[in-house]
Amino acid sequence: MLTYVLKRVGQTVLTAFLAVATVFVLLRMAPGDPAANYAPPNPSSEQLEAIRQQFGLDQPIPVQFWTFLQHLFQGDVGTSFFFKRPALDVVLERLPYTITLAVAAIVVTSVVAIPLGVWMARRNNTAPELGANIGTIAGQSMPDFWIGFVLLILFAVNLHWFAPSGFDSATSIILPTLTIAILQIALISRLVRREMVVNLASPYLTVARSRGVSERALTWRYAFANAALPVVTALGTRFAAMLNGVVIVEVVFNWPGVGELVVNALKQRDFPLIQATVLVTVLLALAVQLLVDLLYPLMDPRVRLGEASS
Amino acid sequence: MRVLEVTDLQVELLTGTSVVRAVDGVSFHIDQGETVTIIGESGSGKSTTAMAILRLLPDDLAVISGEARIGGQDVTGSRKVIDKLRGRAVALIPQDPMTALNPIRTIGRQMTEAVRIKYPDLGRAEAKARALSLMEQVHIRNPAKQFDAYPHQLSGGMLQRVLIAMAVSTDADLIVADEPTSALDVTVQAGILDLLLELQEQTGIALLLITHDLGVARLMSDRVHVMKAGAFVEGGPVTDVVDHPQHPYTQKLLGAIPELGPWVDPGASEPLVKEASHG
Repeated sequence: MLTYVLKRVGQTVLTAFLAVATVFVLLRMAPGDPAANYAPPNPSSEQLEAIRQQFGLDQPIPVQFWTFLQHLFQGDVGTSFFFKRPALDVVLERLPYTITLAVAAIVVTSVVAIPLGVWMARRNNTAPELGANIGTIAGQSMPDFWIGFVLLILFAVNLHWFAPSGFDSATSIILPTLTIAILQIALISRLVRREMVVNLASPYLTVARSRGVSERALTWRYAFANAALPVVTALGTRFAAMLNGVVIVEVVFNWPGVGELVVNALKQRDFPLIQATVLVTVLLALAVQLLVDLLYPLMDPRVRLGEASS
Repeated sequence: MRVLEVTDLQVELLTGTSVVRAVDGVSFHIDQGETVTIIGESGSGKSTTAMAILRLLPDDLAVISGEARIGGQDVTGSRKVIDKLRGRAVALIPQDPMTALNPIRTIGRQMTEAVRIKYPDLGRAEAKARALSLMEQVHIRNPAKQFDAYPHQLSGGMLQRVLIAMAVSTDADLIVADEPTSALDVTVQAGILDLLLELQEQTGIALLLITHDLGVARLMSDRVHVMKAGAFVEGGPVTDVVDHPQHPYTQKLLGAIPELGPWVDPGASEPLVKEASHG
Protein backbone atom coordinates (compact mmCIF):
# COMPACT_ATOMS: atom_id res chain seq x y z
CA MET A 1 0.00 0.00 0.00
CA LEU A 2 2.82 2.41 0.91
CA THR A 3 4.69 1.75 -2.34
CA TYR A 4 1.41 2.30 -4.19
CA VAL A 5 0.93 5.69 -2.54
CA LEU A 6 4.57 6.70 -3.11
CA LYS A 7 4.34 5.66 -6.74
CA ARG A 8 1.17 7.68 -7.22
CA VAL A 9 2.69 10.75 -5.52
CA GLY A 10 5.75 10.44 -7.76
CA GLN A 11 3.54 10.26 -10.84
CA THR A 12 1.65 13.31 -9.63
CA VAL A 13 4.83 15.38 -9.24
CA LEU A 14 6.11 14.30 -12.66
CA THR A 15 2.80 15.09 -14.37
CA ALA A 16 2.66 18.52 -12.75
CA PHE A 17 6.25 19.23 -13.87
CA LEU A 18 5.52 18.21 -17.46
CA ALA A 19 2.36 20.32 -17.55
CA VAL A 20 4.16 23.40 -16.26
CA ALA A 21 7.14 22.88 -18.60
CA THR A 22 4.86 22.50 -21.62
CA VAL A 23 2.92 25.64 -20.77
CA PHE A 24 6.17 27.52 -20.10
CA VAL A 25 7.58 26.75 -23.53
CA LEU A 26 4.31 27.13 -25.45
CA LEU A 27 3.67 30.57 -23.96
CA ARG A 28 7.03 31.82 -25.16
CA MET A 29 6.56 30.32 -28.61
CA ALA A 30 3.13 31.89 -29.03
CA PRO A 31 2.86 35.08 -31.10
CA GLY A 32 2.56 38.42 -29.32
CA ASP A 33 5.02 40.34 -27.18
CA PRO A 34 4.21 40.73 -23.47
CA ALA A 35 6.35 43.85 -23.32
CA ALA A 36 3.92 45.62 -25.67
CA ASN A 37 1.14 45.18 -23.10
CA TYR A 38 3.08 46.80 -20.30
CA ALA A 39 4.80 49.63 -22.17
CA PRO A 40 3.42 53.16 -22.49
CA PRO A 41 1.50 53.89 -25.71
CA ASN A 42 3.69 54.03 -28.84
CA PRO A 43 6.78 52.68 -27.08
CA SER A 44 10.24 53.04 -28.50
CA SER A 45 12.27 49.89 -29.08
CA GLU A 46 14.50 50.86 -26.14
CA GLN A 47 11.49 51.03 -23.83
CA LEU A 48 10.30 47.60 -25.01
CA GLU A 49 13.77 46.16 -24.57
CA ALA A 50 13.95 47.55 -21.05
CA ILE A 51 10.65 45.88 -20.14
CA ARG A 52 11.78 42.58 -21.66
CA GLN A 53 14.92 42.81 -19.59
CA GLN A 54 12.91 43.60 -16.47
CA PHE A 55 10.72 40.51 -17.03
CA GLY A 56 13.72 38.38 -17.98
CA LEU A 57 12.29 37.72 -21.42
CA ASP A 58 15.48 38.77 -23.18
CA GLN A 59 17.18 35.52 -22.17
CA PRO A 60 17.03 32.34 -24.30
CA ILE A 61 14.09 30.08 -23.34
CA PRO A 62 16.25 27.33 -21.70
CA VAL A 63 17.90 29.94 -19.50
CA GLN A 64 14.50 31.41 -18.60
CA PHE A 65 13.25 27.93 -17.72
CA TRP A 66 16.29 27.20 -15.58
CA THR A 67 15.79 30.44 -13.70
CA PHE A 68 12.10 29.62 -13.31
CA LEU A 69 12.93 26.19 -11.88
CA GLN A 70 15.47 27.61 -9.45
CA HIS A 71 12.87 30.03 -8.14
CA LEU A 72 10.20 27.32 -8.12
CA PHE A 73 12.21 25.15 -5.75
CA GLN A 74 12.39 28.11 -3.41
CA GLY A 75 8.60 28.32 -3.52
CA ASP A 76 8.62 31.39 -5.78
CA VAL A 77 6.48 31.01 -8.91
CA GLY A 78 7.26 34.50 -10.16
CA THR A 79 5.75 37.96 -10.00
CA SER A 80 2.67 38.78 -12.03
CA PHE A 81 3.44 41.27 -14.80
CA PHE A 82 0.02 42.85 -14.42
CA PHE A 83 -0.59 42.80 -10.66
CA LYS A 84 3.08 43.41 -9.74
CA ARG A 85 2.60 40.92 -6.91
CA PRO A 86 3.62 37.28 -6.40
CA ALA A 87 1.58 35.36 -8.97
CA LEU A 88 0.87 32.54 -6.52
CA ASP A 89 -0.84 34.96 -4.11
CA VAL A 90 -3.09 36.22 -6.89
CA VAL A 91 -4.08 32.66 -7.86
CA LEU A 92 -4.68 31.58 -4.27
CA GLU A 93 -6.96 34.59 -3.74
CA ARG A 94 -9.13 33.47 -6.64
CA LEU A 95 -8.96 29.76 -5.92
CA PRO A 96 -11.67 29.65 -3.21
CA TYR A 97 -14.20 30.98 -5.72
CA THR A 98 -13.42 28.25 -8.23
CA ILE A 99 -13.37 25.56 -5.54
CA THR A 100 -16.72 26.76 -4.19
CA LEU A 101 -18.23 26.68 -7.67
CA ALA A 102 -16.75 23.25 -8.44
CA VAL A 103 -17.92 21.77 -5.13
CA ALA A 104 -21.42 23.22 -5.58
CA ALA A 105 -21.59 21.87 -9.14
CA ILE A 106 -20.36 18.40 -8.24
CA VAL A 107 -22.74 18.18 -5.25
CA VAL A 108 -25.73 19.23 -7.36
CA THR A 109 -24.62 16.80 -10.08
CA SER A 110 -24.33 13.87 -7.68
CA VAL A 111 -27.56 14.62 -5.86
CA VAL A 112 -29.55 14.83 -9.10
CA ALA A 113 -27.71 12.49 -11.48
CA ILE A 114 -27.45 9.43 -9.24
CA PRO A 115 -31.15 9.14 -8.33
CA LEU A 116 -32.09 10.08 -11.91
CA GLY A 117 -29.82 7.40 -13.38
CA VAL A 118 -31.07 4.79 -10.92
CA TRP A 119 -34.66 5.71 -11.68
CA MET A 120 -34.02 5.46 -15.42
CA ALA A 121 -32.46 2.03 -14.98
CA ARG A 122 -35.41 0.78 -12.91
CA ARG A 123 -37.89 2.16 -15.43
CA ASN A 124 -35.87 1.00 -18.41
CA ASN A 125 -37.92 0.88 -21.63
CA THR A 126 -40.93 2.78 -20.32
CA ALA A 127 -42.40 6.00 -21.70
CA PRO A 128 -41.24 8.27 -18.80
CA GLU A 129 -37.76 6.79 -19.05
CA LEU A 130 -37.67 7.51 -22.76
CA GLY A 131 -38.59 11.13 -21.99
CA ALA A 132 -35.81 11.40 -19.40
CA ASN A 133 -33.42 9.73 -21.82
CA ILE A 134 -34.17 12.30 -24.53
CA GLY A 135 -33.79 15.04 -21.91
CA THR A 136 -30.33 13.83 -20.93
CA ILE A 137 -29.25 13.59 -24.57
CA ALA A 138 -30.42 17.19 -25.03
CA GLY A 139 -28.54 18.26 -21.88
CA GLN A 140 -25.44 16.57 -23.16
CA SER A 141 -25.70 18.29 -26.53
CA MET A 142 -26.10 21.91 -25.42
CA PRO A 143 -22.88 23.94 -25.15
CA ASP A 144 -22.32 25.29 -21.64
CA PHE A 145 -21.88 28.92 -22.71
CA TRP A 146 -25.25 28.74 -24.46
CA ILE A 147 -26.93 27.24 -21.38
CA GLY A 148 -25.28 30.01 -19.38
CA PHE A 149 -26.66 32.75 -21.61
CA VAL A 150 -30.15 31.21 -21.64
CA LEU A 151 -30.20 31.02 -17.84
CA LEU A 152 -28.88 34.58 -17.63
CA ILE A 153 -31.54 35.95 -19.97
CA LEU A 154 -34.31 33.98 -18.31
CA PHE A 155 -33.56 34.32 -14.60
CA ALA A 156 -31.38 37.41 -14.35
CA VAL A 157 -32.51 39.71 -17.16
CA ASN A 158 -36.21 38.83 -17.49
CA LEU A 159 -37.21 37.53 -14.09
CA HIS A 160 -34.64 39.48 -12.00
CA TRP A 161 -34.33 36.55 -9.61
CA PHE A 162 -30.56 36.64 -9.49
CA ALA A 163 -27.77 39.10 -10.11
CA PRO A 164 -26.56 38.70 -13.69
CA SER A 165 -22.87 38.50 -12.92
CA GLY A 166 -20.07 38.61 -10.40
CA PHE A 167 -20.21 37.54 -6.81
CA ASP A 168 -22.45 39.79 -4.73
CA SER A 169 -24.38 37.44 -2.52
CA ALA A 170 -24.84 33.76 -1.78
CA THR A 171 -27.44 33.43 -4.53
CA SER A 172 -24.89 34.52 -7.14
CA ILE A 173 -23.60 30.97 -7.23
CA ILE A 174 -26.90 29.44 -8.34
CA LEU A 175 -26.82 30.23 -12.07
CA PRO A 176 -23.16 29.32 -12.71
CA THR A 177 -23.65 26.10 -10.72
CA LEU A 178 -26.71 25.19 -12.76
CA THR A 179 -24.91 25.94 -16.00
CA ILE A 180 -22.12 23.52 -15.16
CA ALA A 181 -24.39 20.94 -13.54
CA ILE A 182 -26.86 20.54 -16.44
CA LEU A 183 -24.21 19.05 -18.73
CA GLN A 184 -22.67 16.96 -15.93
CA ILE A 185 -26.07 15.65 -14.80
CA ALA A 186 -26.78 14.55 -18.35
CA LEU A 187 -23.45 12.73 -18.64
CA ILE A 188 -23.35 11.17 -15.17
CA SER A 189 -27.00 10.08 -15.10
CA ARG A 190 -26.52 8.22 -18.37
CA LEU A 191 -23.45 6.50 -16.93
CA VAL A 192 -25.36 5.56 -13.75
CA ARG A 193 -28.23 4.25 -15.86
CA ARG A 194 -25.94 2.11 -18.00
CA GLU A 195 -24.11 0.62 -15.00
CA MET A 196 -27.36 0.04 -13.11
CA VAL A 197 -29.04 -1.72 -16.04
CA VAL A 198 -26.14 -4.19 -16.18
CA ASN A 199 -26.12 -4.81 -12.42
CA LEU A 200 -29.90 -5.02 -12.08
CA ALA A 201 -29.91 -7.81 -14.67
CA SER A 202 -27.00 -9.71 -13.15
CA PRO A 203 -27.45 -13.19 -11.65
CA TYR A 204 -26.47 -12.21 -8.10
CA LEU A 205 -29.34 -9.76 -8.05
CA THR A 206 -31.89 -12.34 -9.20
CA VAL A 207 -30.63 -14.79 -6.60
CA ALA A 208 -30.86 -12.14 -3.88
CA ARG A 209 -34.39 -11.36 -5.03
CA SER A 210 -35.23 -15.06 -4.66
CA ARG A 211 -34.07 -14.80 -1.05
CA GLY A 212 -36.68 -12.14 -0.41
CA VAL A 213 -34.33 -9.13 -0.31
CA SER A 214 -36.45 -5.99 -0.74
CA GLU A 215 -36.39 -4.13 -4.04
CA ARG A 216 -35.00 -1.07 -2.28
CA ALA A 217 -32.09 -3.05 -0.86
CA LEU A 218 -31.54 -4.74 -4.22
CA THR A 219 -31.36 -1.38 -5.95
CA TRP A 220 -29.02 0.37 -3.54
CA ARG A 221 -27.13 -2.18 -1.44
CA TYR A 222 -26.64 -4.60 -4.31
CA ALA A 223 -26.81 -2.96 -7.74
CA PHE A 224 -25.74 0.58 -6.86
CA ALA A 225 -22.93 -0.48 -4.55
CA ASN A 226 -21.51 -2.41 -7.49
CA ALA A 227 -22.22 0.31 -10.05
CA ALA A 228 -20.65 3.00 -7.86
CA LEU A 229 -17.02 2.42 -8.81
CA PRO A 230 -17.14 3.78 -12.37
CA VAL A 231 -19.54 6.50 -11.22
CA VAL A 232 -17.17 7.72 -8.51
CA THR A 233 -14.32 7.64 -11.04
CA ALA A 234 -16.31 9.77 -13.44
CA LEU A 235 -17.37 12.22 -10.71
CA GLY A 236 -13.74 12.54 -9.62
CA THR A 237 -12.54 13.21 -13.15
CA ARG A 238 -15.31 15.79 -13.69
CA PHE A 239 -14.49 17.49 -10.41
CA ALA A 240 -10.81 17.61 -11.28
CA ALA A 241 -11.67 19.15 -14.63
CA MET A 242 -13.83 21.77 -12.92
CA LEU A 243 -10.97 22.73 -10.63
CA ASN A 244 -8.91 23.51 -13.72
CA GLY A 245 -11.23 26.44 -14.02
CA VAL A 246 -14.67 26.22 -15.49
CA VAL A 247 -13.32 28.84 -17.81
CA ILE A 248 -16.25 29.58 -20.09
CA VAL A 249 -18.84 29.59 -17.33
CA GLU A 250 -16.69 31.85 -15.16
CA VAL A 251 -16.29 34.27 -18.06
CA VAL A 252 -20.01 34.23 -18.93
CA PHE A 253 -20.99 34.97 -15.33
CA ASN A 254 -17.96 37.14 -14.57
CA TRP A 255 -17.26 34.78 -11.69
CA PRO A 256 -14.03 35.80 -9.95
CA GLY A 257 -12.39 32.36 -10.10
CA VAL A 258 -9.14 31.12 -11.61
CA GLY A 259 -10.83 30.41 -14.96
CA GLU A 260 -11.70 34.05 -15.40
CA LEU A 261 -8.26 35.02 -14.06
CA VAL A 262 -6.41 32.86 -16.56
CA VAL A 263 -8.40 34.24 -19.50
CA ASN A 264 -7.41 37.78 -18.55
CA ALA A 265 -3.83 36.69 -17.87
CA LEU A 266 -3.69 35.20 -21.37
CA LYS A 267 -4.99 38.43 -22.90
CA GLN A 268 -2.32 40.38 -21.05
CA ARG A 269 0.43 37.84 -21.78
CA ASP A 270 1.01 37.66 -18.02
CA PHE A 271 3.33 34.64 -18.19
CA PRO A 272 4.07 34.16 -14.47
CA LEU A 273 0.39 34.37 -13.60
CA ILE A 274 -0.54 31.78 -16.27
CA GLN A 275 2.23 29.48 -15.04
CA ALA A 276 1.12 29.85 -11.44
CA THR A 277 -2.50 29.10 -12.38
CA VAL A 278 -1.51 26.02 -14.34
CA LEU A 279 0.72 24.77 -11.54
CA VAL A 280 -1.94 25.20 -8.84
CA THR A 281 -4.86 23.79 -10.80
CA VAL A 282 -2.88 20.85 -12.16
CA LEU A 283 -1.73 19.93 -8.66
CA LEU A 284 -5.30 20.22 -7.37
CA ALA A 285 -6.72 18.09 -10.17
CA LEU A 286 -4.04 15.47 -9.67
CA ALA A 287 -4.72 15.45 -5.94
CA VAL A 288 -8.40 14.76 -6.62
CA GLN A 289 -7.50 11.93 -8.99
CA LEU A 290 -5.16 10.49 -6.38
CA LEU A 291 -7.92 10.64 -3.79
CA VAL A 292 -10.32 8.80 -6.11
CA ASP A 293 -7.72 6.11 -6.79
CA LEU A 294 -7.19 5.66 -3.08
CA LEU A 295 -10.97 5.28 -2.64
CA TYR A 296 -11.10 2.22 -4.93
CA PRO A 297 -9.77 -0.27 -2.39
CA LEU A 298 -12.35 0.94 0.12
CA MET A 299 -15.19 0.37 -2.33
CA ASP A 300 -14.17 -2.94 -3.86
CA PRO A 301 -12.69 -5.79 -1.80
CA ARG A 302 -11.28 -7.31 -4.98
CA VAL A 303 -9.02 -4.28 -5.39
CA ARG A 304 -8.26 -4.13 -1.68
CA LEU A 305 -7.23 -7.74 -1.47
CA GLY A 306 -5.19 -7.44 -4.65
CA GLU A 307 -6.58 -10.61 -6.16
CA ALA A 308 -8.39 -9.00 -9.07
CA SER A 309 -5.20 -7.64 -10.59
CA SER A 310 -3.20 -10.85 -10.37
CA MET B 1 -49.15 -31.90 2.49
CA ARG B 2 -49.09 -30.36 -0.97
CA VAL B 3 -46.19 -27.89 -1.08
CA LEU B 4 -46.44 -26.96 -4.74
CA GLU B 5 -49.35 -27.38 -7.10
CA VAL B 6 -48.91 -26.20 -10.67
CA THR B 7 -51.90 -26.27 -12.99
CA ASP B 8 -51.77 -25.53 -16.71
CA LEU B 9 -48.87 -23.09 -16.36
CA GLN B 10 -48.06 -21.11 -19.48
CA VAL B 11 -45.19 -18.70 -20.00
CA GLU B 12 -44.98 -16.54 -23.06
CA LEU B 13 -41.70 -14.75 -23.65
CA LEU B 14 -41.82 -11.50 -25.58
CA THR B 15 -38.79 -11.26 -27.83
CA GLY B 16 -39.04 -7.88 -29.46
CA THR B 17 -41.20 -8.67 -32.45
CA SER B 18 -42.47 -12.18 -31.73
CA VAL B 19 -43.96 -14.14 -28.84
CA VAL B 20 -42.50 -17.49 -27.87
CA ARG B 21 -44.52 -19.90 -25.76
CA ALA B 22 -41.66 -21.24 -23.63
CA VAL B 23 -43.90 -23.16 -21.22
CA ASP B 24 -47.07 -24.57 -22.70
CA GLY B 25 -49.61 -25.84 -20.21
CA VAL B 26 -47.54 -27.64 -17.60
CA SER B 27 -49.17 -29.30 -14.57
CA PHE B 28 -47.50 -31.10 -11.66
CA HIS B 29 -47.32 -31.12 -7.88
CA ILE B 30 -44.81 -31.72 -5.11
CA ASP B 31 -45.63 -33.05 -1.64
CA GLN B 32 -43.66 -32.53 1.54
CA GLY B 33 -40.32 -34.34 1.59
CA GLU B 34 -40.58 -35.18 -2.07
CA THR B 35 -38.14 -34.46 -4.87
CA VAL B 36 -39.66 -33.85 -8.27
CA THR B 37 -37.35 -33.35 -11.21
CA ILE B 38 -38.00 -31.66 -14.50
CA ILE B 39 -35.54 -33.01 -17.02
CA GLY B 40 -34.98 -31.81 -20.55
CA GLU B 41 -32.44 -30.40 -22.94
CA SER B 42 -31.40 -26.74 -23.18
CA GLY B 43 -34.27 -24.54 -24.31
CA SER B 44 -36.95 -27.06 -23.36
CA GLY B 45 -38.48 -24.60 -20.89
CA LYS B 46 -37.51 -26.37 -17.67
CA SER B 47 -35.65 -23.41 -16.12
CA THR B 48 -38.31 -21.00 -17.36
CA THR B 49 -40.90 -23.10 -15.50
CA ALA B 50 -38.92 -22.80 -12.28
CA MET B 51 -38.25 -19.08 -12.73
CA ALA B 52 -41.92 -18.47 -13.50
CA ILE B 53 -42.99 -20.22 -10.29
CA LEU B 54 -40.57 -17.99 -8.34
CA ARG B 55 -41.69 -14.97 -10.41
CA LEU B 56 -38.09 -14.15 -11.25
CA LEU B 57 -38.85 -13.40 -14.90
CA PRO B 58 -39.16 -9.68 -15.72
CA ASP B 59 -42.78 -8.57 -16.21
CA ASP B 60 -42.01 -6.82 -19.46
CA LEU B 61 -40.49 -9.98 -20.94
CA ALA B 62 -42.67 -12.81 -19.69
CA VAL B 63 -46.43 -13.25 -19.48
CA ILE B 64 -47.53 -15.96 -17.06
CA SER B 65 -50.93 -17.62 -17.00
CA GLY B 66 -52.39 -20.67 -15.32
CA GLU B 67 -51.90 -21.38 -11.63
CA ALA B 68 -48.98 -22.12 -9.35
CA ARG B 69 -49.78 -22.56 -5.67
CA ILE B 70 -46.98 -22.53 -3.12
CA GLY B 71 -48.40 -23.66 0.23
CA GLY B 72 -51.87 -23.04 -1.20
CA GLN B 73 -51.23 -19.47 -2.34
CA ASP B 74 -51.39 -18.70 -6.04
CA VAL B 75 -48.25 -16.78 -7.05
CA THR B 76 -49.15 -16.11 -10.68
CA GLY B 77 -51.27 -13.05 -9.89
CA SER B 78 -50.05 -10.10 -7.83
CA ARG B 79 -46.34 -9.98 -7.08
CA LYS B 80 -47.20 -9.22 -3.45
CA VAL B 81 -47.94 -12.91 -2.88
CA ILE B 82 -44.51 -14.13 -3.99
CA ASP B 83 -42.79 -11.21 -2.20
CA LYS B 84 -44.08 -12.64 1.08
CA LEU B 85 -43.08 -16.20 0.20
CA ARG B 86 -39.56 -15.71 -1.16
CA GLY B 87 -36.90 -16.35 1.44
CA ARG B 88 -39.57 -17.60 3.82
CA ALA B 89 -41.61 -20.43 2.27
CA VAL B 90 -39.60 -20.95 -0.89
CA ALA B 91 -35.91 -20.65 -1.68
CA LEU B 92 -33.69 -21.00 -4.74
CA ILE B 93 -30.41 -22.78 -5.29
CA PRO B 94 -29.02 -21.18 -8.45
CA GLN B 95 -27.25 -22.63 -11.43
CA ASP B 96 -23.90 -20.86 -11.27
CA PRO B 97 -22.66 -20.22 -7.73
CA MET B 98 -19.74 -18.11 -8.99
CA THR B 99 -22.02 -15.27 -10.08
CA ALA B 100 -24.79 -15.76 -7.53
CA LEU B 101 -23.46 -13.65 -4.67
CA ASN B 102 -22.87 -9.94 -4.34
CA PRO B 103 -19.14 -9.64 -5.12
CA ILE B 104 -18.48 -6.73 -2.76
CA ARG B 105 -20.11 -8.06 0.42
CA THR B 106 -18.72 -10.76 2.68
CA ILE B 107 -20.26 -14.22 2.77
CA GLY B 108 -21.21 -13.62 6.39
CA ARG B 109 -22.98 -10.37 5.70
CA GLN B 110 -25.07 -11.95 2.96
CA MET B 111 -25.83 -15.00 5.10
CA THR B 112 -26.97 -12.98 8.10
CA GLU B 113 -29.09 -10.89 5.77
CA ALA B 114 -30.77 -14.06 4.51
CA VAL B 115 -31.30 -15.32 8.07
CA ARG B 116 -32.85 -12.05 9.17
CA ILE B 117 -35.31 -11.91 6.28
CA LYS B 118 -37.05 -14.95 7.73
CA TYR B 119 -36.32 -14.05 11.36
CA PRO B 120 -36.22 -10.24 11.56
CA ASP B 121 -36.24 -10.27 15.35
CA LEU B 122 -32.85 -11.96 15.58
CA GLY B 123 -30.06 -9.69 16.78
CA ARG B 124 -26.80 -9.35 14.93
CA ALA B 125 -24.95 -11.83 17.12
CA GLU B 126 -27.76 -14.40 17.04
CA ALA B 127 -28.01 -14.16 13.27
CA LYS B 128 -24.26 -14.65 13.01
CA ALA B 129 -24.40 -17.69 15.30
CA ARG B 130 -27.16 -19.17 13.19
CA ALA B 131 -25.25 -18.46 9.97
CA LEU B 132 -22.15 -20.17 11.39
CA SER B 133 -24.11 -23.23 12.48
CA LEU B 134 -25.69 -23.41 9.01
CA MET B 135 -22.25 -23.25 7.42
CA GLU B 136 -21.23 -26.15 9.63
CA GLN B 137 -24.38 -28.02 8.62
CA VAL B 138 -23.42 -27.77 4.92
CA HIS B 139 -19.89 -28.99 5.80
CA ILE B 140 -17.97 -25.79 5.17
CA ARG B 141 -14.61 -26.18 6.83
CA ASN B 142 -13.54 -23.40 9.18
CA PRO B 143 -16.82 -21.44 9.01
CA ALA B 144 -15.54 -18.57 11.15
CA LYS B 145 -12.85 -17.83 8.56
CA GLN B 146 -15.13 -18.21 5.54
CA PHE B 147 -17.70 -15.98 7.22
CA ASP B 148 -15.43 -12.98 6.67
CA ALA B 149 -14.36 -14.00 3.17
CA TYR B 150 -15.58 -12.44 -0.05
CA PRO B 151 -17.19 -14.58 -2.76
CA HIS B 152 -14.16 -14.39 -5.09
CA GLN B 153 -12.03 -16.04 -2.40
CA LEU B 154 -14.11 -19.25 -2.35
CA SER B 155 -14.29 -22.10 -4.85
CA GLY B 156 -17.44 -22.86 -6.83
CA GLY B 157 -18.25 -25.88 -4.69
CA MET B 158 -17.83 -23.88 -1.46
CA LEU B 159 -20.01 -21.07 -2.85
CA GLN B 160 -22.71 -23.56 -3.76
CA ARG B 161 -22.58 -24.86 -0.17
CA VAL B 162 -22.97 -21.27 1.04
CA LEU B 163 -25.96 -20.80 -1.27
CA ILE B 164 -27.49 -24.06 -0.07
CA ALA B 165 -26.97 -22.91 3.52
CA MET B 166 -28.76 -19.67 2.64
CA ALA B 167 -31.66 -21.60 1.12
CA VAL B 168 -31.84 -23.82 4.19
CA SER B 169 -31.60 -20.82 6.54
CA THR B 170 -35.11 -19.82 5.54
CA ASP B 171 -36.65 -23.04 6.87
CA ALA B 172 -38.61 -23.01 3.62
CA ASP B 173 -41.07 -25.72 2.67
CA LEU B 174 -39.86 -25.80 -0.92
CA ILE B 175 -36.43 -25.41 -2.45
CA VAL B 176 -36.10 -24.87 -6.18
CA ALA B 177 -32.72 -26.15 -7.36
CA ASP B 178 -32.06 -24.92 -10.88
CA GLU B 179 -29.26 -27.09 -12.31
CA PRO B 180 -27.46 -26.90 -8.96
CA THR B 181 -24.41 -28.83 -10.12
CA SER B 182 -24.04 -28.07 -13.83
CA ALA B 183 -21.51 -25.29 -13.32
CA LEU B 184 -19.35 -27.38 -10.98
CA ASP B 185 -16.52 -29.83 -11.50
CA VAL B 186 -17.63 -33.46 -11.67
CA THR B 187 -15.77 -34.28 -8.45
CA VAL B 188 -17.60 -31.49 -6.62
CA GLN B 189 -21.03 -32.36 -8.07
CA ALA B 190 -21.34 -35.60 -6.11
CA GLY B 191 -20.61 -33.83 -2.83
CA ILE B 192 -23.28 -31.20 -3.48
CA LEU B 193 -25.89 -33.81 -4.42
CA ASP B 194 -25.03 -35.82 -1.29
CA LEU B 195 -25.48 -32.68 0.76
CA LEU B 196 -28.91 -31.98 -0.76
CA LEU B 197 -30.04 -35.54 -0.01
CA GLU B 198 -28.70 -35.30 3.54
CA LEU B 199 -30.44 -31.98 4.19
CA GLN B 200 -33.69 -33.27 2.77
CA GLU B 201 -33.51 -36.26 5.09
CA GLN B 202 -32.94 -33.95 8.07
CA THR B 203 -35.54 -31.32 7.27
CA GLY B 204 -38.16 -33.07 5.11
CA ILE B 205 -38.06 -30.17 2.69
CA ALA B 206 -39.66 -30.54 -0.75
CA LEU B 207 -37.34 -30.13 -3.72
CA LEU B 208 -38.07 -29.05 -7.27
CA LEU B 209 -34.99 -30.07 -9.22
CA ILE B 210 -34.23 -28.81 -12.70
CA THR B 211 -31.57 -30.76 -14.57
CA HIS B 212 -30.50 -32.02 -17.96
CA ASP B 213 -28.53 -34.83 -16.37
CA LEU B 214 -30.31 -38.17 -16.19
CA GLY B 215 -27.79 -39.47 -13.67
CA VAL B 216 -28.63 -36.61 -11.32
CA ALA B 217 -32.34 -37.16 -11.87
CA ARG B 218 -32.09 -40.88 -11.12
CA LEU B 219 -30.06 -40.29 -7.96
CA MET B 220 -32.19 -37.51 -6.51
CA SER B 221 -35.80 -37.81 -7.59
CA ASP B 222 -38.96 -39.46 -6.44
CA ARG B 223 -40.77 -38.48 -9.60
CA VAL B 224 -39.58 -36.99 -12.88
CA HIS B 225 -41.22 -35.08 -15.70
CA VAL B 226 -39.56 -35.09 -19.09
CA MET B 227 -39.94 -31.74 -20.80
CA LYS B 228 -39.63 -30.98 -24.48
CA ALA B 229 -40.49 -27.78 -26.32
CA GLY B 230 -42.38 -26.32 -23.36
CA ALA B 231 -44.53 -29.34 -22.51
CA PHE B 232 -44.20 -32.50 -20.43
CA VAL B 233 -43.97 -35.53 -22.71
CA GLU B 234 -43.73 -38.13 -19.99
CA GLY B 235 -43.83 -38.30 -16.21
CA GLY B 236 -43.98 -40.65 -13.28
CA PRO B 237 -41.89 -42.40 -10.62
CA VAL B 238 -38.21 -42.12 -11.53
CA THR B 239 -37.65 -45.86 -11.86
CA ASP B 240 -40.56 -46.24 -14.31
CA VAL B 241 -39.43 -43.39 -16.54
CA VAL B 242 -35.77 -44.34 -16.60
CA ASP B 243 -36.19 -48.10 -16.87
CA HIS B 244 -39.26 -48.23 -19.12
CA PRO B 245 -39.38 -45.01 -21.12
CA GLN B 246 -42.58 -44.77 -23.17
CA HIS B 247 -42.07 -41.61 -25.17
CA PRO B 248 -39.55 -41.67 -28.06
CA TYR B 249 -37.96 -38.45 -26.77
CA THR B 250 -37.25 -40.01 -23.38
CA GLN B 251 -35.79 -43.04 -25.12
CA LYS B 252 -33.56 -40.72 -27.14
CA LEU B 253 -32.48 -38.88 -23.97
CA LEU B 254 -31.55 -42.15 -22.31
CA GLY B 255 -29.73 -43.30 -25.43
CA ALA B 256 -27.63 -40.13 -25.34
CA ILE B 257 -25.86 -41.13 -22.11
CA PRO B 258 -22.29 -42.11 -22.96
CA GLU B 259 -21.53 -45.73 -22.06
CA LEU B 260 -18.82 -46.29 -19.51
CA GLY B 261 -16.77 -49.43 -19.99
CA PRO B 262 -13.34 -50.78 -20.81
CA TRP B 263 -11.61 -48.34 -23.05
CA VAL B 264 -8.12 -48.17 -24.43
CA ASP B 265 -6.58 -44.73 -24.59
CA PRO B 266 -4.76 -44.51 -27.89
CA GLY B 267 -2.37 -41.91 -26.47
CA ALA B 268 -1.23 -44.20 -23.66
CA SER B 269 -0.36 -47.23 -25.80
CA GLU B 270 3.41 -46.74 -25.41
CA PRO B 271 4.89 -48.85 -22.60
CA LEU B 272 5.49 -46.69 -19.53
CA VAL B 273 8.69 -48.55 -18.60
CA LYS B 274 10.53 -46.64 -21.32
CA GLU B 275 10.69 -43.45 -19.31
CA ALA B 276 12.31 -45.12 -16.32
CA SER B 277 15.16 -46.52 -18.36
CA HIS B 278 16.21 -43.01 -19.42
CA GLY B 279 16.52 -41.78 -15.81
